[in-house]
Amino acid sequence: TEPQTTDPIGSETPKSEKTDKTKIEIRLKANGNATNYMKKKKWAVDPDKKISSIMEFVKKNVMKGEVEKSAFLYVNQSFAPAPDQIVKNLYECYGTDGKLVLHYCKTQAWG
Amino acid sequence: MANDREVLREIWEGRLPVCFQLNSEETYSLQAPDAYYLMVPRLSYFPLVTDKVRKHFLKYINPEKQEAEMWLDFNGQPLRWHYPIGVLFDMYASDIQLPWNITVHFDKFPEDELLHCPSREVVESHFMSCIKEADVLKHRSQVVSNMQKKDHNQLWLGLQNDKFDQFWAVNRKLMEASGEEVFKYIPFRCYRGDGPFVQHLVRPVTEEGQKKTLHHLISEVFPNETDLHVMTHGIEPPWETPLQWLSEHLSYPDNFLHLCIQTS
Repeated sequence: TEPQTTDPIGSETPKSEKTDKTKIEIRLKANGNATNYMKKKKWAVDPDKKISSIMEFVKKNVMKGEVEKSAFLYVNQSFAPAPDQIVKNLYECYGTDGKLVLHYCKTQAWG
Repeated sequence: MANDREVLREIWEGRLPVCFQLNSEETYSLQAPDAYYLMVPRLSYFPLVTDKVRKHFLKYINPEKQEAEMWLDFNGQPLRWHYPIGVLFDMYASDIQLPWNITVHFDKFPEDELLHCPSREVVESHFMSCIKEADVLKHRSQVVSNMQKKDHNQLWLGLQNDKFDQFWAVNRKLMEASGEEVFKYIPFRCYRGDGPFVQHLVRPVTEEGQKKTLHHLISEVFPNETDLHVMTHGIEPPWETPLQWLSEHLSYPDNFLHLCIQTS
């Protein structure tokens, strides 16, 4: 149940068509006290993927044992989506330039 | 801003009669427990109103389960605590007879279907996140980020303690269109069946500056579909209701419109 890691999208990939089957490009950006960074920042994920699986992915692959409970993910550097929110809804509302940017950190930020 | 105070009051005072019963397989005592009846606010969340339900049933279950997290189901469908109670009711309204019969569980938590709710703080942080998200849509997050911590607390306490005046003294600022006449986008979620809800960007006015209505929203989110019914707060709002008015008056305390979509 992790975001797909084997299928990076080139930045030139046209994103004009948004159908249910098209994968969505997400960018994971470290914030503040997240000390481990990923070289790879772009991921192509299934539109119906839940935020909880991306939280798990960040916890396992980026923060490698740094956090006990969970990683925190933020949209627009302002709010934390519910773990069962799906990527498609966030992309529809907060996606820019064909991608959805999510900031991750190991403690609560932005209230 | 929200002017029709009587409407806000009516919405706030929406209540549902619920009959809570312990899952019969979990009854540990010889005597089956009585059902527990409550009138619950539509706008609240189950973890905020079920402390007494938990206390009532604890003495009838396996002593080893005393610390277990309580969860609820209706007709075998686990109820998501992070949806407002009125939304859960409207989702299943066609199958419900009053009082609403809900089964209480302490065992076999459905990990794949429900989020854990270990404390009220978790509800608070979910609620505040929704308000922040709604403000991103309405005001590019300008209003909520200019508020003080005490305002955030007041919103939460107003909801938690069922205090209309306390809540609306702060919420009115979030419902102002801040200099412009309308919100940038209307915060809403559409629920259909058991799948994830749908969110889109919908503006309250057309490019020509005309007020959009509920009809516009539904045809933007579900193009080419007919015979849809929209239920919220137990009513079907007229399709010609302007979206801006709807958002200001029929949003839940989390500042989202929660629209349950049914096919006739």
